[in-house]
Amino acid sequence: MSDAEGDCGTQGLPHPNRREVIAAGISLPVVAGVASGIAQPASTPAPERIPLRVTINDAPYELSLDPRTSALDMLREQLSLTGAKKGCDHGQCGACTIHVDGRRVVSCLTPALQLEGRQVVTIEGLAPSSGELHPMQQAFIDHDGLQCGYCTPGQIMSAVACVREGHAGSADQIREYMSGNLCRCGAYAGIVAAIQQAAPRMGG
Amino acid sequence: MPDGKYPSTPRVDAWDKVRGAAIYAADDARPRMLHGALAVAAVNRGQIVSLDVERARAAPGVRLVLTHQDMQGVQSAGFLLGGGFAFQSFQPMLSPAIHYRGQPIALVVADTVEAAQHAASLVAATYAVEPFQLSLDAPAQDIVAQHGSPLPQATYADKVAGDADGAYAAAAVKVDATYLSPPQHPNPLELLSTVAEWRDGTLIVKEGSQNSGAVRHGLARQLGLDPARVQVLSPQAGGAFGQKNSHQSHTVLAAVAARRLDAPVKLVVSRSQGFHGASFRPASRHRVRLGADRAGRIAAAIHEADQQTSRHDLFPASFTEMTARLYGIRNFRGHERMVRTDVQTPGYMRAPFEHPAGFAFESAMDELAYALDMDPVALRLANDTTVDPLTGRPLSSRHLAECLRRGAERFGWARRSMAPASMVERDGTAIGWGVACGAHKAAASPAAARLEAFADGRIRLAVAGHEMGQGIRTALANVLARRLSVDPRTIEIIVGDTRAADQHLTAGSWGTASATPAADAAGERLIQALRSLDPGYSGGAPAEVLRRAGRASVAVEVATKAPGQPDAVFQRLQGGLPAVQGPEFPDFVSMSYAAHFAEVRVEPRTRRVRVPRIVTVVDCGRVVSPRTAESQVRGAAIWGLGSALREISETDGRYGGFVNADLAEYVVPVHADVPEIDVGFIDEPDPRLNALGVKGLGEVAMTGVAAALANAVHHATGLRIRELPIRLDQLLAAPAARPT
Repeated sequence: MSDAEGDCGTQGLPHPNRREVIAAGISLPVVAGVASGIAQPASTPAPERIPLRVTINDAPYELSLDPRTSALDMLREQLSLTGAKKGCDHGQCGACTIHVDGRRVVSCLTPALQLEGRQVVTIEGLAPSSGELHPMQQAFIDHDGLQCGYCTPGQIMSAVACVREGHAGSADQIREYMSGNLCRCGAYAGIVAAIQQAAPRMGG
Repeated sequence: MPDGKYPSTPRVDAWDKVRGAAIYAADDARPRMLHGALAVAAVNRGQIVSLDVERARAAPGVRLVLTHQDMQGVQSAGFLLGGGFAFQSFQPMLSPAIHYRGQPIALVVADTVEAAQHAASLVAATYAVEPFQLSLDAPAQDIVAQHGSPLPQATYADKVAGDADGAYAAAAVKVDATYLSPPQHPNPLELLSTVAEWRDGTLIVKEGSQNSGAVRHGLARQLGLDPARVQVLSPQAGGAFGQKNSHQSHTVLAAVAARRLDAPVKLVVSRSQGFHGASFRPASRHRVRLGADRAGRIAAAIHEADQQTSRHDLFPASFTEMTARLYGIRNFRGHERMVRTDVQTPGYMRAPFEHPAGFAFESAMDELAYALDMDPVALRLANDTTVDPLTGRPLSSRHLAECLRRGAERFGWARRSMAPASMVERDGTAIGWGVACGAHKAAASPAAARLEAFADGRIRLAVAGHEMGQGIRTALANVLARRLSVDPRTIEIIVGDTRAADQHLTAGSWGTASATPAADAAGERLIQALRSLDPGYSGGAPAEVLRRAGRASVAVEVATKAPGQPDAVFQRLQGGLPAVQGPEFPDFVSMSYAAHFAEVRVEPRTRRVRVPRIVTVVDCGRVVSPRTAESQVRGAAIWGLGSALREISETDGRYGGFVNADLAEYVVPVHADVPEIDVGFIDEPDPRLNALGVKGLGEVAMTGVAAALANAVHHATGLRIRELPIRLDQLLAAPAARPT
């Protein structure tokens, strides 16, 4: 397994509306004060926006960001990549897990600007093509490793990384290395079974 | 006529969920979207004296700051149990009054999440504080007996059969014990989230909910709108567990802001704020007395319980509705009281009454087994019944004894030695095996369904119901696919959408038992409609019939209700009000049942408790979606484990509020905690309840799990822990089991 290459997702097709989304994301800050009838007190200047160049699901992005923006809020609110979920915003639940240069990170605790020059893969970019599933996604269906589905993107991103790290050698090892991803519905048994099914099918 | 067991089919929405393509409320991301953030009260009770929002208003990117001074004309949506729609009667931000710590005092709306959150932190308030109390040990004036209270007495009066006190006094063998269950928070992983926008005078709200009808009618009442002007879309909730079963306090704030700003407003309530802004499982204390003869026939049971409520609402308990019916105990007395505390109104967290009551009652049953020196499974089998002890009516179905027998077989119960601390590993690890049962009312509500078949092959069902992960879409697809002899994947299921069908509360394990009979009846009516086009039609793809008949589509509508319900329940359905029947029906009483067997291992020095395996066998009537049902039972076992060993919301007697209000400090089970969970179903239909024979599953599967674990801890250690969660400090009081 070549965890450095992040082979899954690097062939991912671009998000269909990516250009529109990028344009929307960039234009967001200049629309202040358009609503009618709302008093706008003299405001202090907004924080300086900082440029960011990042590759997400194999597509290059050039953005200009409020430095307070988390990677999660950037993905969700500015790029409409809403697969990564906000379950705590504190790095406690794992629902926002993405891959940065092939490693799993909780995007809610990752400042977006820290992604400068990085390769990011989200759940939207995991499958080899839009009509197909990654073996881990298929395994989650096969073993019903989900219920409400809210933690599922994070579980799957974490699971793929768990296999690539070499931490899927046994059910106990999977449980240990997946314990940063909470599932409140309690689909844990199906998730572990799914990882065991997908691990040998993920190739090198 | 379709009949028999249903096949195990994949979850119909799994394809979307594994791709991150399932859309939850907060996934609405659009260029013009504005973002809200709440500022909350820093005291537990009192009045706002001053509220300074100028710095927040002046912060970059801020569009609007709402406080109680900006909410003229907005009303309470009313309490769910008082003819209203909300989890509490109190709507924050309509006055300066503070009823609980963490109560919203201002909503900031800004261009971005970052700007809104920063500005919310700049809101400053001063308060005149008042004393408060949070304890079940409250002064007498804060304790209200349900019997004789203004609550509907048909439901909340004492549960009495025979002469329990007399029979208890005369019993040969007695147990008298008191059990504590802490406050807990449901913590669905999806944060409380609302997107509100106005289009041509119509309010459109996206919010993960179990009760989109109540959100719709609640907002209409609060804003003085015609309900026809409110649409609520809740295609899925990212978990709910009872916390999303009614209108929330934050929703109207987003709606008011969206109207003022003429733009969509997204309000995501933070995890910490969710501990204070929505309902939770209240603390409860249970005294259980059991009296039996020496052969283990239980002559009397007395179950008295106190449960926390808020100061502004009477949230009643229904503990003894279940415990009175778990066994054939002829003399029963149940008595419940509410204790006023200064919190947001508590509510229904998964198995809201059955779980705490089951922990108490089934722990007491284990204590009785030891007092009798009788096997705990044999004691339960000796007290089976076919008649409801409270009403004398027959039970529509009851396979609890079979759950116990099958569970004991799967678990290997016969190899258990009775004496506590008698099963010890070579390294000194104590092994404990425990058993407990659960029951839950089998209830049903009215449901409306619209079924449409199209010449292009699509089939679309819109029905009253909500998908919270329990798998209602899959259950509906399975039932309809069998009825129509089509592939379940060809059926589009629309739930939680007030535009498509009137929506009833999906809770209390009645969702599947209410929605699937409606879907089945709609399927039957569609077959009749297709036969009117083609008399030879006998099932299969409707598209061919439609094409031959030159029709683009055909649609049918049905409305179903529970046995014995009057037609007036359809008005309640249309009005967003709950209309639930059960467990009592005119001719019978219906309950679901479960038997749980658990193994614990208690480490000899640290006393750490690990759970290697749980076996659960459930009688939930016909299983219409085996795969999602198994997942639900596994999840319920994990909820039982969490309740037994992990979950407590710690209150702060000095400052109020819940102090461990995040997912690091409120400890829930993780992958590494989860045992092997073996699930069995009786899968016998209960045709008296509905044509499909479906009872309920999601809550009975949790009821009794905590007791099975506590009983296993007793078996391992000899320690009877009567307070949840079971923690190391309680177990360290015992001498470590000696390594052999």
